[in-house]
Amino acid sequence: MAGKLSTLKGIDPAQYVVYVGFLLIFAAFAVVLRDDGFLTTNNLVNIVQQTAPITIMAIGMVFVLTAGEIDLSIGSVVAIAALIAAVVMRSAPWPVAVAAGLGAGAAIGMVNGLLVAYVRLPSFLVTLASMGLLAGVGRWLTNLQSVPIVDDSYTAIFGAGALFGVPSLIVWTLVGTAVGHFVFRETPFGAHVLATGDNPRAARAAGIKVDRLRLGVLVLSSTLAALAGLLYAGRLHGARYTLGETDLLTVIAAVIVGGTRLNGGSGTIIGALIGSLMMGMLNNGLILMGLSVAEQMMVRGLIILAAVALTLREKTR
Amino acid sequence: MTIMRFLSTGTVLAGFALAALPAFADDVTKGPHGETATPGESIVLTPDQQAKVKAGKFTAGLAWHTTSDWSNAVDQGAKDEFAQLGITVVATTDAGFDAAKQKNDVETILAKKPSVIISLPVDPETAPEVYKPALAVGTELVFIDNTPKGFEYGKDYITISTADLVQMGAKAGEALGTNLGGKGTVGYIFHDADFYVTNQRDQSFKKTIETKFPDMKIVAEQGLADPTRAEEIAQAFVTKNPNLDAIYVTWAEPAEFVLAALRNSGNTHTKIVTLDLSEPLALDMVKGGNVTAISADEAYSIGTTAAKAAALGLIGEKVPPFLAAGAIAITKDNVKEGWNASLHRDPPASLGVQ
Repeated sequence: MAGKLSTLKGIDPAQYVVYVGFLLIFAAFAVVLRDDGFLTTNNLVNIVQQTAPITIMAIGMVFVLTAGEIDLSIGSVVAIAALIAAVVMRSAPWPVAVAAGLGAGAAIGMVNGLLVAYVRLPSFLVTLASMGLLAGVGRWLTNLQSVPIVDDSYTAIFGAGALFGVPSLIVWTLVGTAVGHFVFRETPFGAHVLATGDNPRAARAAGIKVDRLRLGVLVLSSTLAALAGLLYAGRLHGARYTLGETDLLTVIAAVIVGGTRLNGGSGTIIGALIGSLMMGMLNNGLILMGLSVAEQMMVRGLIILAAVALTLREKTR
Repeated sequence: MTIMRFLSTGTVLAGFALAALPAFADDVTKGPHGETATPGESIVLTPDQQAKVKAGKFTAGLAWHTTSDWSNAVDQGAKDEFAQLGITVVATTDAGFDAAKQKNDVETILAKKPSVIISLPVDPETAPEVYKPALAVGTELVFIDNTPKGFEYGKDYITISTADLVQMGAKAGEALGTNLGGKGTVGYIFHDADFYVTNQRDQSFKKTIETKFPDMKIVAEQGLADPTRAEEIAQAFVTKNPNLDAIYVTWAEPAEFVLAALRNSGNTHTKIVTLDLSEPLALDMVKGGNVTAISADEAYSIGTTAAKAAALGLIGEKVPPFLAAGAIAITKDNVKEGWNASLHRDPPASLGVQ
């Protein structure tokens, strides 16, 4: 028994919980919705495609939260990047538009990061303010009008296309998760993020450039939010100021359910992917169950609450 | 119809200038592509057609843009009618004004292979991508209010079901004219955007006052883009015209701000007339406050009409391109009937008219 316990201690229980939760929900839907198309390849592919932007943002959020910061502005960055890319694409080739969109995201992250790291304002307040400011900018940019995108290469790469038969949004999810996981677990940057979130003073004493690192995670998060915006724009063949507006809480929920600590020091990219897929699967399954909109919202809330409760309980043991 | 369904989570209207603006020369409601309206009640199924629909064992999905009092009434109308016709509703979704979410919703609904989807597109510009997967698998479409850009009637969708916009404005004008005994001064707060829904309602009100009530005069006019600014506009109106008899407000949300402005300045003389049901405004009206009439569309009928049109489309019958439900002016004397005609339920208990 004691031997068993010590083996279990070696595993991060938070991660373990999210996998079990994910499989339980999946199994429940698979049984209940066996005649309702839930298990069809098409539907399962849809879930992964639909969650691609959330997953991409969740990867950034893992870095930010693990470093002990938060980025509330990601939802607004999504719309700005998508709109800028769509507008630039009217008169320039798509790679220029992509660079403009991602550049806008990086620049916003830079401003957030400078205010947090060097002016020493709390990231919660800085990004809360930039969220509001950018929501206004998004509306102002095109005077509330949607901007269509007609470039087929762009929409194929960022939306509806496929690479060797794999839908491009799934490729983005896989590549994003793999790169994110590698950077988080295998590089000095990832190790420094963990150390800073765990104990910033100790991290500083150990020679980690904590300020630069805070700037770095906010730039990363904002750039990934911009990438999510490009994916939305590719999927919809156009951009609109409301894109991403309601994504912030979904992203945070996905990351936390996935096993990342809200107050820093511990995180998991794979967990965030699973958390994001869980959110998408919940939306999908509850709709297929034929529930009314109000019922869907209530059940989703309860399941997320249960998942978070399990994750957090395990961690505080 | 409530304009709130065009509002995003912010305070600004979405999707303006998306539809080419038809001319408003006629006293008939026009659709987003200039279609002439056909009364919704003209859509009926013969017993033969009903039997055919029942035999078809059809299913339906409902993909809403958001959920509100108004959308609930449309939703209920569609569901009740589908139930009567033996069509099973397999899924209902709420896109929260998010076009990307609406695309997810439609894709998800398609896993249940519905025969038809009724939907209000969040954003006509990006909506083609939202509904293309449905067309690809042969699911029929019926739209509320607006269509995806480039979609063709008869080929890509069965019909559009909506409110009779011209009637809504006209009923507001008639109710106000009657209340003021056919004379007085009016301030006119219209929606300053290129948006066929509000434009037709506003212009129809104005035309009704100008043509049917020669002794009434619109003495102040101001466009509105942000509902919260209505308070300032109303204040300016009554400052310039202290004896202003009434203010027309383009929809309920800004009207609530106009009411606040009048209350704050102790003004009990100036009447308010607006469109779309709102509990605070109705409460003021039944208490004999500033609000004198609220014009509303028959939202429930928009849903029943859409469902009937869907059924006809499914058995291969042709339906006119643009169906408009009726409108009703609600005053303090007919709150209960009005609420039922519009939302198919009794007014909130707070109004005390049960």
